[in-house]
Amino acid sequence: MPRLSRIIVLAAAVAVALSGCATISAVSTPSPSTSTAAAEKFDNCGTRVDFSDAAPKRVITIKSTSTEMLLALGLGDRIVGTAFQDGPVPATWKTEAAKLSVLSVQVPSQEVVLNSEPDLIYAGWESNFSADGAGTRSDLQGLGIATYVSPAACREVGYQPARLGFSDIFREIGQVASIFHVSDTKLLAQQKSDLAAIPRDKRGLTALWFSSGSSTPYVGAGIGAPQLVMDTVGLKNIASGVKETWTSFNWETVVNDNPDVIVLVDATWNTAAKKMAVLESNPATANLDAVKNHRYLIVPFAASEAGVRTVSAASDLATQLARLDLK
Amino acid sequence: MQARRAGRVATAGVVLALVLVLSITFAITIGPSNVTPVEVWGSVLHHLGVGDGQLSLLRDGIVWQLRLPRVLTAAAVGAGLAISGAVMQALTRNPLADPYLLGLSSGASLGAVAVLLLGIAVLLPVAAFLGAMLALGLTLLLASSLGRITPSRTVLAGIAVSALASAVTSLVIFWTVTGDSYREILGWLLGSLSGARWPEVAIAFAAIVIAGLPIMLSGRILDAFAFGDTSAAALGINVNSTRWILLAATALLTGAMVSVSGSIGFVGLILPHAVRLLVGPRHRALLPLSAIVGAIFLIWADTAARSVFEPRELPVGIVTAIIGAPIFAILLTRRRSEV
Repeated sequence: MPRLSRIIVLAAAVAVALSGCATISAVSTPSPSTSTAAAEKFDNCGTRVDFSDAAPKRVITIKSTSTEMLLALGLGDRIVGTAFQDGPVPATWKTEAAKLSVLSVQVPSQEVVLNSEPDLIYAGWESNFSADGAGTRSDLQGLGIATYVSPAACREVGYQPARLGFSDIFREIGQVASIFHVSDTKLLAQQKSDLAAIPRDKRGLTALWFSSGSSTPYVGAGIGAPQLVMDTVGLKNIASGVKETWTSFNWETVVNDNPDVIVLVDATWNTAAKKMAVLESNPATANLDAVKNHRYLIVPFAASEAGVRTVSAASDLATQLARLDLK
Repeated sequence: MQARRAGRVATAGVVLALVLVLSITFAITIGPSNVTPVEVWGSVLHHLGVGDGQLSLLRDGIVWQLRLPRVLTAAAVGAGLAISGAVMQALTRNPLADPYLLGLSSGASLGAVAVLLLGIAVLLPVAAFLGAMLALGLTLLLASSLGRITPSRTVLAGIAVSALASAVTSLVIFWTVTGDSYREILGWLLGSLSGARWPEVAIAFAAIVIAGLPIMLSGRILDAFAFGDTSAAALGINVNSTRWILLAATALLTGAMVSVSGSIGFVGLILPHAVRLLVGPRHRALLPLSAIVGAIFLIWADTAARSVFEPRELPVGIVTAIIGAPIFAILLTRRRSEV
């Protein structure tokens, strides 16, 4: 039995190598970048990764943040499959995204992943790499498959950002660019100029970032992407005291703090409209100022996690916020 | 001896009823927002038609729409679970029995999950009750197919039915959950009262009146059952139909409680044991006192769940298990000879 599995692994390895050879001519050879070898070797959420030999050519992306990062860097042709996508991509990448094959609506199993013969799996959540998910990082490494987790989603002490900043997102852009031996200059310049153009609301408004839940609200807390976006547009998060990215909260505190606006996360399985209905049907929250006056801001679920869409999410919310007329 | 025990039961009853009223009165003054106790009571009295409330609409909502319905639901659920536990322990003559034995909880959960996730258009408590009854029916069918229905056969059949219902529940969740929507179901599966509003209060109290009171009044019958089916029959009780009626009433009670709070463990298991230590095993005293103690216990467990980690909340099922498991261990060692 061990011998058989070894043969299978060997065959898989050969297949990967062959398919790699087959596709190499199709892929435009990346121009040798200026990045040093050190930039391609680093510690990712506690796992050493090394991409100094060659850039990955067959990538599986799990969650929207990873798919969109590659599309933003013009690396869509490296994606052999996507999984567990959170929603549609923005219009700019629509044509490119339509070409991608979907491996799994939810987290793929190890066999589904191996079947696509990837050389890199890029995941938006650390938990996507588990035995009942895509496989543990060390197992995949043993099969010659590199793994990378969006650093903003690292959970370990020392790896999780103490308070997420745009510098963390820009560092991820740089890291991914160096993994693929491509340049990040254009994308970073774009992100920075878009960020600089976002107006900051001066009215000192308070906000609740309502992500999901009905009996217990699940909300954006003090150290993750929701906090970063709210800081950027000039909203004061009523749940900022909880040192988590997201947290389960309670309605009593929400009613007590009576936020000026409510940010609703819009997901296909839990739409913004459904959340409005939850707020309106609960007699305690129906009397909140934001609910009575329909002061809602809407953010798509896929844009609510840290990544290349965070800047545009903030820009979009700032536009919605400027339109709100508070007497 | 008899008189002394009766006196003790009466005293315990009066004291515990008082503690229950005080618990409700004080539990509603505790919470993450800074409404003062005087304001809280003023708001409640105002809604009851006494005095005028000085609270703003929102802060009044905190008291009248969030805290009070939640505390009252906790009281009713705690009472219902404790009664169900005591009855199950009597009917199955098994000290380890709880309301969730015989597949009742898993069946109720399956019914509720079917409504929540598959969108079947039945009211949640109805679905939970139907699920509980279906599981109970299957359990008794399986137990009877083994021969005469004995307590141990019933319990074993219940384990099998429970496992099946849990597996189907997991299957439904696995197939229907997308994105982060599992969160909606997670708190409910762990047992939580955070969704309790006035409709939930109505459901829980209706179940207490419709199923809980008749059970509490059948203490004499349950005392007979405690000595075995033969002695129960000798006392002129129709053993089979009585057992069926009591089991169905327990299923109704448990189903209603699961539908408003999910499965909250340990309340039905440990509290009847604790009350037995206090007043002895006779059900005429045991059932009403267990109900009161269950209500008090769950009120405070839920108050802890919603205030200890504020502004976050803990599913109350975690609190009852953390408090309940050590108490259960202590009770086990004290009652070593009986287990």
